[in-house]
Amino acid sequence: MVTIDGLVKRRGGREILSGIGFSARPGRVTGFLGPNGAGKSSTLRVLLGLDRATAGTALIDGVPYARLRDPLGTVGAVLDGSGAHRARTGRAHLRWVARSAGLPRARVDEVLELVGLTHAAAKRVGTYSLGMGRRLAMATALLGDPAVLILDEPVNGLDPEGIRWIRTLLRERAATGRTVLLSSHLMGELAETVDDVVVIDAGRIVADGTLGEVTGAHRTLEDAFFALTGGGSRLTGGGAR
Amino acid sequence: MRALAAELAKLASLPAAWVAAATGVLVPSAVAAMTARGGPVPGGEDIGYQELAFGVLGAIVLGVVAISSEYVTESAESGGGRQITTSLTAVPSRTRFLLAKMGAVAIGGALLAVVAAAATMGVVQAGAQTPPLGAGDVPRLAGVVCYWALTALLAFGVTVLTRHGVVPLALFIVNTSVVSVTYLLTKITLLANYLPDMAGVRMFIRRLPDNDVEIAPLTAGLVMAAWVAALLVVATVVFTRRDA
Repeated sequence: MVTIDGLVKRRGGREILSGIGFSARPGRVTGFLGPNGAGKSSTLRVLLGLDRATAGTALIDGVPYARLRDPLGTVGAVLDGSGAHRARTGRAHLRWVARSAGLPRARVDEVLELVGLTHAAAKRVGTYSLGMGRRLAMATALLGDPAVLILDEPVNGLDPEGIRWIRTLLRERAATGRTVLLSSHLMGELAETVDDVVVIDAGRIVADGTLGEVTGAHRTLEDAFFALTGGGSRLTGGGAR
Repeated sequence: MRALAAELAKLASLPAAWVAAATGVLVPSAVAAMTARGGPVPGGEDIGYQELAFGVLGAIVLGVVAISSEYVTESAESGGGRQITTSLTAVPSRTRFLLAKMGAVAIGGALLAVVAAAATMGVVQAGAQTPPLGAGDVPRLAGVVCYWALTALLAFGVTVLTRHGVVPLALFIVNTSVVSVTYLLTKITLLANYLPDMAGVRMFIRRLPDNDVEIAPLTAGLVMAAWVAALLVVATVVFTRRDA
């Protein structure tokens, strides 16, 4: 269970988040939608304890991330890229992460198999394609078999097969009662994966509900999104951090 | 302890750390080999030790890359990620993370010093005109190990603040090898003798050229340790307060 309440983040005099609040419930896939620069990554970074909020709370099962007893066993996170140093091999990367949580080495080979990277495990991360890097990040997130998955733009850079794979995986996680929260600016990809939708625009939540509720009278989620965020005028600006 | 194990595994699987190790072992032993060929030299009591004071370059590189590697940004085509996000989601307590890093850097620097000292002294002893190592060398060699571990931590602390390896690496390497700014400062003020590197080398160097200031080895170690501790406190405060 992810609970965010009254989150404000200022950086360099600019307000990036202006009182964000929503929750992601167990057994459901929650889509966190918004144009680039709307504050999706900032919200997730605060939630993961990487950035500090100016005000408000972001809790996982009722506690801030930094106070989780077993972070990797509670939350799996996928942020930008692979999250690994390019000079290390994929396996070496997973091994040190596993070590930090006291997980057995065998688990490393399990997740490599799970994401389909076994063949590239001995290669340096610097030689990976974008898609392979994303799979490595996914493997890292799954190491501790966490109850909550938090993913920032997980389908970015994946080929159609990869997108299908991640969709199936996220649906499976939710089906077993786990919480999945993923951000995206790609509406089409999201509509087929999510149960609940939270729409953010310029640091504010503009819609929050089930897929059906948010889509409402609009033909598709994409139409609803453009209606809510002002017709995509902002799509050219900003940038994911 | 898990965090420390993870940090040690990180260092061991980082190619740059092995470059640091190779530098730390090869540079002082190669210089010692060249010195030994030249026959007896004045100030022979510091032979081998002077080379080890210079070989600390290896420990510097180790301390820098241990933390700069966390901040290396992947290319934009790879998604522009950084390892620090993975590290801090795995070990969310900033203090615990940094303490584990310091532990790994100190252990790495000390181990490297042991190997480098063995190699360098081995080369020195192979030369005919050198007096054999005696009981008096035990505390001096311990001083070398302390000096390397503390220097690695010093380089680490500065790099925590800069988040980038180039500036601290250039600064420390130039000061150690090309022009010792801290040494030149001792010409201006005697207080400069208490700068971390100038004090630190007195844990094992008996005579510095053109320098009559006496600092006992133990005092020297304490002075350097105090500098390092102060820097690491500042680094920890900054690191825990800023966004990753």
